[in-house]
Amino acid sequence: MDALLIKLTAVAYLIAAGSFFLYLFRGAAATRVPTVLLLFGFVVHSLGVTILFFREGFATVAVMGDALLFNSWLMVGVYLLIQLRYRLTVLGGIIAPLAFLMTFAASAVGGGVGEIPPGFQTFWLPLHVTLAFLGNAVFALAFGVSLIYLLQERHLKHKKLTVLMKRFPSLESLDRLNYKLLMWGFPLMTLGILTGSLWAGIHWGDYWSWDPRQISSGIAWLFYGALLHGRITAGFRGKKAAVLGRFE
Amino acid sequence: MQNQIVIVGLNHRSAPIEVRESVAFENSYVQDALARLRGYPSIHEGVILSTCNRVEVVAAAGNGQSAFDEITGFLAEQKAQRHAGPLDDHIYTYQGADAVRHLFRVAASLDSMVIGEPQILGQLKQYYDAAQQAGTVGAILHRLFHRSFSVAKRVRSETGIGSGAVSMSSIAVDLARRIFDRFDDKSVMLIGAGKMGDLLARHLQSHGVQTLMVTNRTFERAVALAERIRGNPIRFDDFPRYLKMADLVIGCAGVADFVIDAATVEKVLRERKQKAMFFIDIGDRRNFDPKINDLDNVYLYNIDDLKSVADDNLQERSNEAEKAEKIVLEEVRSFIRWMGTLEQVPTITALRQRFEEIRLREIEKSLGGGLKELSEAQRAALQDMTTAMVNKMLHGPISNLKKSSPKDDEDGTLYVAALKKLFNLEDK
Repeated sequence: MDALLIKLTAVAYLIAAGSFFLYLFRGAAATRVPTVLLLFGFVVHSLGVTILFFREGFATVAVMGDALLFNSWLMVGVYLLIQLRYRLTVLGGIIAPLAFLMTFAASAVGGGVGEIPPGFQTFWLPLHVTLAFLGNAVFALAFGVSLIYLLQERHLKHKKLTVLMKRFPSLESLDRLNYKLLMWGFPLMTLGILTGSLWAGIHWGDYWSWDPRQISSGIAWLFYGALLHGRITAGFRGKKAAVLGRFE
Repeated sequence: MQNQIVIVGLNHRSAPIEVRESVAFENSYVQDALARLRGYPSIHEGVILSTCNRVEVVAAAGNGQSAFDEITGFLAEQKAQRHAGPLDDHIYTYQGADAVRHLFRVAASLDSMVIGEPQILGQLKQYYDAAQQAGTVGAILHRLFHRSFSVAKRVRSETGIGSGAVSMSSIAVDLARRIFDRFDDKSVMLIGAGKMGDLLARHLQSHGVQTLMVTNRTFERAVALAERIRGNPIRFDDFPRYLKMADLVIGCAGVADFVIDAATVEKVLRERKQKAMFFIDIGDRRNFDPKINDLDNVYLYNIDDLKSVADDNLQERSNEAEKAEKIVLEEVRSFIRWMGTLEQVPTITALRQRFEEIRLREIEKSLGGGLKELSEAQRAALQDMTTAMVNKMLHGPISNLKKSSPKDDEDGTLYVAALKKLFNLEDK
């Protein structure tokens, strides 16, 4: 049942992605159509995720396919929230194809039946995973916003005005949104790392064991921390911030 | 009463400005002119359109050729003394489908000097209202103008003909909008007193800019300009100090050397924590060092850049114009079809009447002559028979006439004209 729903979700996201591209490059289509299509995909996605969790329990996110599923679900959800407030339909042109790839991969890998390592059935893990994935989702959106910023900035510098550009919001608002996303993403990531370390402490008896996953998230945390610090104090804004924000 | 749509006029392509001026109708004078227009025998309905790019008379008239002559005479009479030469060389005339197409193209801004400019529709509406007030609009022009308004709207929403600014000031504002989200918290510095800079500064003010600094080599001129456009004058020696407050900088000083170089901007940027700046070099001579554009978070456009954006936009518009022409043709067809049905109904009625007259006349003749002996019942049967005969004979032509028009408008009007001619159905 949920496998079918996930396939349906992937198809819906693919159609939504196509509709976003039409909106971006052709121009004539109504602004709302792609968002509504994406919303439809999200509803199906939510249903699939709910059924999956009911059947397998939340700990199933430890399996690659289901992790992708949950992560993409959060990403689309956060995007739809942003769209509600900022009307950033262009960003959907990046999020929708990304969501398609993730759900498609999830559906191809297949999930829900993998080996769940011991120690995953605790209270800390869902908390850790949700926070970390939410942080990921927010940073994925920040990445999209940075990308749009750089495209827009490039067009302006090279004095080429295209149809695509008409759809882009101003650099100022993109920069502001990027900053806001960073402000949300960083605490989420910090909490994600803290809860993860706490969980590791409880189950492995060691809070920080230089495991590759821990190292990479530690580096990312330092990087984003530096970026945020730079923005606040040294006027790391606009282009430089966008270039840095692209490394997720 | 047979009605035909005719247009006589001149526009920016057919006539030079002095000729257009000489026949232009002043606003206060339009009502009188409409009344005078109405006085001509062939003109049943009329609207006068008079803008700086065109003077046209749109009319519904009984006879095309005499309407042309009458309107040409009307325009010649309107012609002021200033221009002595004949009008005929500058005038164009349209009738029927061509006239409808012309009006639709005018409304959709396809016939404008700058394709896609939006003002023409408002002007059209204004002159239509004037004609309505003067009572010179009837069923046909009412329908024609309302159709032209909706054609214009359709073209605007279905094609990109109105998109992309084409004047220097609006392009600069358009670009600024891609950098800045809002203008009411932005400051503008205007350097120099050139006309274009002045214009752009005002344009930005109308888009919400509150703070405007004005500087000039001669301080008195800066003061005078600042007073005129509600800005704050700044001494030329001081302006680099104020530069860090400016989000938009307009250069329009007629001096040969660069007023601001890249090193200055780099320093200013550090002071403003890399907040974006937009430099617009809008004068004939370049005031800003082109290297400024190489800095991050700074955008520099000079007059040539703006012009090339304008050219791109115009190119884009003329590409879109092809789509618009298709829409216009579609709408012309449907309008002509409507005109056809307008003529159809009276023609069918007249045809039936003509046959009925013949039937009655012949029955009367026969019943008074050779068929005098017939009984009441036989007379009734004869009436029924002849009525049925006429109906049967007319059934084919009438249903074909009704059928032909929705598919092919040319045939529809052609058949109507043929029937009128063949059966002598012209107005008595």
